[in-house]
Amino acid sequence: MVKLIENEILKTFYKKRIHVIAGILLVLIALFAYGEHYTLTRTQDRVAEQLGIENAEDWKNIIGQQLQDLERRLDNPYIPDEGKASIQVRAEQLRFYLDNDVSPIGSTAARFMGQFIEQSIFLFLPLLIILLAGDMVSGEVNSGTVKLILTRPVKRWKILMAKLLALSMLEMFVIFMMALFSFAIAMVVFGYSGFNEPVITGFRVFEGQLDTSAVRTIPQWQYLMMTYAIGYFVAFVIGSLSLMVSVLVRSTSASIGIMMSTLIGGSFLSFFISDWKLTRYLFTVNLNLTSYISGSFQIVEGLSMTFSTLVLLGWSFGAIGIAFLVFTQKDILA
Amino acid sequence: MNTDTVLSLKNVSKKIKGRPIINDISFEVKKGQIYGFLGPNGAGKTMTLRMIVGLIRPTSGTVEICGHNTRKDFVRAMSNVGCIIENPELYEYLSGSDNLELLRKMEPDISASRIDEVVELVGLSHRIHDKVGTYSLGMKQRLGIAQALMKKPELLILDEPTNGLDPGGIKEFRSLVKSLSKEQGMTIFVSSHLLSEIQMICDEVAIILHGRIIKTSKVEALSAGQKITWNVTNVAKAIKLLADDFGVEAVKDTEETLSAFTDDFRIMEINSAMMSSDIGIKYVSRQQKSLEDLFMELTGGETIG
Repeated sequence: MVKLIENEILKTFYKKRIHVIAGILLVLIALFAYGEHYTLTRTQDRVAEQLGIENAEDWKNIIGQQLQDLERRLDNPYIPDEGKASIQVRAEQLRFYLDNDVSPIGSTAARFMGQFIEQSIFLFLPLLIILLAGDMVSGEVNSGTVKLILTRPVKRWKILMAKLLALSMLEMFVIFMMALFSFAIAMVVFGYSGFNEPVITGFRVFEGQLDTSAVRTIPQWQYLMMTYAIGYFVAFVIGSLSLMVSVLVRSTSASIGIMMSTLIGGSFLSFFISDWKLTRYLFTVNLNLTSYISGSFQIVEGLSMTFSTLVLLGWSFGAIGIAFLVFTQKDILA
Repeated sequence: MNTDTVLSLKNVSKKIKGRPIINDISFEVKKGQIYGFLGPNGAGKTMTLRMIVGLIRPTSGTVEICGHNTRKDFVRAMSNVGCIIENPELYEYLSGSDNLELLRKMEPDISASRIDEVVELVGLSHRIHDKVGTYSLGMKQRLGIAQALMKKPELLILDEPTNGLDPGGIKEFRSLVKSLSKEQGMTIFVSSHLLSEIQMICDEVAIILHGRIIKTSKVEALSAGQKITWNVTNVAKAIKLLADDFGVEAVKDTEETLSAFTDDFRIMEINSAMMSSDIGIKYVSRQQKSLEDLFMELTGGETIG
């Protein structure tokens, strides 16, 4: 089995798929970093102008004022305890900025890394994975090499299993590249910083209300680990779906095309999510998992980290099941 | 079952979307034989070969290789088989040696030195480290043969192996097949649409038409009787004479010629009989039987198209 997996990984590398993905990643991250840097400078100028301060370096005053304001509200007896918890967390975050001399307005390498995965998890990352997985089986059917591997004394399920395992390793590699490249580029553009900065997390939606009782801060590096791990999970789900489509259709272009259009088309349906209940069971609307921990999502009753994770797992297992069923039974006619 | 039997098909049928493609095929290949599988394009040769190597499941019937059912014991059955099915499609983006290395890892035990050995055997040593994408069709064919021979299979299955080879390559291929059979005792199952090809290398042959085996026989038996063409003054009379006196069915080809299948030794008798019946003979010619002729003979005029 190890040898079979080795073979599959070898094929992907020799096909230069990984090279293409690495190239796309580098270009896109660089552009993203440049854009981020550019907007940041503009924002800082604008903020400075609005607040009538000399330059954005005076952020300490602003934060100081905000902190005082929060502390005043904490003393307010009319605010309920759970409200206080979230204020406490926010205050803690502001205090960190002041104590460690980190500007909340500016960007840091850590923040950039976080933003990059948050922005790419629902579309860009899945597209890369589709590129990677879309031809794993159909590519071999297309070129006829499937006849070579299926006439070896190896059971068919083992061959597909090797492909699935190789794919999950390659997905991990893509996530790793994503982290590494965004780290390296961010270091160049923003300098090493912000990995200990606290990030607010722990939002929950409970009975249609934003529940902030579990809100807490975690250091940025920990937050990044979580988001990239979630990124890997999303990659795995998309990978298994692509693998299934790749088993079902004969041509690579059809396989990649079907997955891409499903992904993009399916994400449109998220507009209807609050009214049309069925749409929430689609995998495409559940991909934005990082938004649950960053708290940047729109509140929809019934959607939660657990729900989305389960839906995605369901799709993933279903896809893997179908892929194995079809692949082990299929007649290789062409 | 006989332990000498390397490959046996029993009542194998295949239907695709309800349409019968292969009907109730049975034959046996004995150890050490070079067995030909002859049929025109579209007769079901490749489909049958794919069923033998497990790429397609038969709708009914069984395929056994060295006594192992390919459905129930695929791994053991296939560990005895080296094959090329249709074109030798290999990984174009890998070098020849990487291709072989990759496939070697999928087999139970082939030594690394065996790769050099087969590469040498098929005469590909000088280009083996180049990408397969840069190979000519003939070179791909050779690499295909190398991967099939790599594990010293008990049974070698070759599908239209001379397609794409130049005349020199075809000759080389024939001597390779013969030496594999003679020196290593390998059993070889080879499909072709060329009768001459089969006649030159095979011991025994199964002939397939429209998804049915219409004949299995020794190759020598098949060659008996060639197509004889007479150019005579009275075609109708000659046909009648052949039918009445010799029991040979002749066909009128043109206004002046007729042809029939018969053995060498009878030609003289027929000729003198014709002359004594006042049929003038301008010339007599003998032809190597073509596949079409053979099918005409076997099926009684059914077209192969």
